Amino acid sequence: METFEVLLQESAEAHGHLCPGQVVGVRMAMEGCRRIGLDNPRERSQIKKLIVYVEMDRCAADAISQVTGARLGRRSLKFVDNGIMAATFVNLDTGKSVRIVSKESARTLAASKAPQIRDRHRQQLEAYKTMACEDLFHIQAVKVDVDACDMPGPTKFKAVCQKCGQVVRDKREVMKNNQILCRPCALGTYFTPVQEQEQDKRENEKEPHSMAV
Amino acid sequence: MKKNRTAWPFKTIPVDQAVGTAVAHDMTQVIPGKFKGPAFKKGHEITSGDLCRLMQMGKNNLYVLDLKTGQVHEDDAVMELAAALAGPGVTFSGTPSEGKLELRAAYSGLFKVNISALEDFNMLPDVMGASIHTHTAVKKHQSLAATRAIPLVILRSDLDRAVSLAKEHFPILSVTLFLPLKIRLIITGDEVYKGLIQDRFQAIVREKVTRLGGILEESVILPDNRDRITRQIQEFLEKDTDLIITTGGMSVDPDDVTKEAIEDSGFEQIHYSSAVLPGAMFLLGYQGRTTIMGLPACGLYHRTTIFDLILPRVMAGETPGARDLARLGHGGLCLNCNTCRFPACSFGKPG
Repeated sequence: METFEVLLQESAEAHGHLCPGQVVGVRMAMEGCRRIGLDNPRERSQIKKLIVYVEMDRCAADAISQVTGARLGRRSLKFVDNGIMAATFVNLDTGKSVRIVSKESARTLAASKAPQIRDRHRQQLEAYKTMACEDLFHIQAVKVDVDACDMPGPTKFKAVCQKCGQVVRDKREVMKNNQILCRPCALGTYFTPVQEQEQDKRENEKEPHSMAV
Repeated sequence: MKKNRTAWPFKTIPVDQAVGTAVAHDMTQVIPGKFKGPAFKKGHEITSGDLCRLMQMGKNNLYVLDLKTGQVHEDDAVMELAAALAGPGVTFSGTPSEGKLELRAAYSGLFKVNISALEDFNMLPDVMGASIHTHTAVKKHQSLAATRAIPLVILRSDLDRAVSLAKEHFPILSVTLFLPLKIRLIITGDEVYKGLIQDRFQAIVREKVTRLGGILEESVILPDNRDRITRQIQEFLEKDTDLIITTGGMSVDPDDVTKEAIEDSGFEQIHYSSAVLPGAMFLLGYQGRTTIMGLPACGLYHRTTIFDLILPRVMAGETPGARDLARLGHGGLCLNCNTCRFPACSFGKPG
């Protein structure tokens, strides 16, 4: 694995800015990988052995993804919407797993670690770089039984929604009223479809005399 | 009896010569009262430090894997078996343990088993599947079933037969979502209506329906007056009601008029009496999209009754009929245990 400084720089570049969340995320990922015996998770020989669960969609999540090489599209990065600054690192080969939670007390401790810095944001950023792991994190050995339908690799499970015909991958279909359905059909959607007429009207208003090109 | 027709594809080597070789299957260790599980996982490379533990487990010889053409290792086979058995709402681990896979609920709902297909599956050589009872209300992550190939290898042709049978009868195992039914309750009885005793049915019904995701929209208390009960049922039928529940008045006393009142309300189907104790004088009916359940007063005394057996099915959108109520006879006797363990008991488990 690269050094902390190199990883932090890479991470800040990939994420778009340097912030305390980046520092926490990079350190969390380095410690997690070390503890499950994957010293170089982005290398070809180790990349398929790791699954990371992040429990927040904030800066640290990007840092963890950058350091570990775990990606949503590779199914090696899982998002559990808990709103907790925590991540779990799973070695699929050995089953060894740790969950690392960022301690809230580290925020207050930052003031005493870097008293020379006035700005709270900068103070946390610098303090988190050098703070002892046990001050920064609560670390717990855990067991994660990853479902077959959550594993990386080629798609093994496909179903067809009996209402709308949509193909559903990875066993996300549900049974409702004796029908196999996709989740939008069975449970509702996070979006509201715009009526076609309404859409047409809006588009016409935007470009009343558009010409074909 | 099914016979394991495959020759085991292993070479045997003495433990003291095993350092550096890979374990061919998960090796179970039993420490009485303390531990039963895999001491060494398949693929684990034996080190000199492992020899002592192996000998303590009584292993003097080990298998080294030597698969022949047409043979499938149990860990690979069980993934295919689980995938074929697991319908919607049923998931399983990506890592078999000791050749087995546990199938569990992906979400809460009604667990359903195609019993005859499962039986046919188990008639095939070298595979097995075992489940909890069909029509059990299950919670997310709950264990539902387990499957395995009978160790340690299976012929590809036998595995393919089992998988194609399961696919043909898909889904053999599934979980159906509970529907957020709109429920209206009519509590009958002069004694409750006049306030001589306090009603306890509403709390019991509310607890049982909300646990499964139902919504108790309305609740009324009526005297034992046939016409008033009928009018109330008809009023509820005109509202947006999925399930009407009545309590009391289902027996044969002169004051018991709820059953007659339901019959007067114009239901297309009415099934009175079930082969279940407690709950013989239960009524189940249907009118359009609305279900009606008449609960006998035993529901006040007994913690678990026919209501607990039929409610999950109705909540999952099913419409059980006379045959279903009759089938419940086998397993329909509650033993009234001092400590109730329902649903982990024989009550309501026919077949």
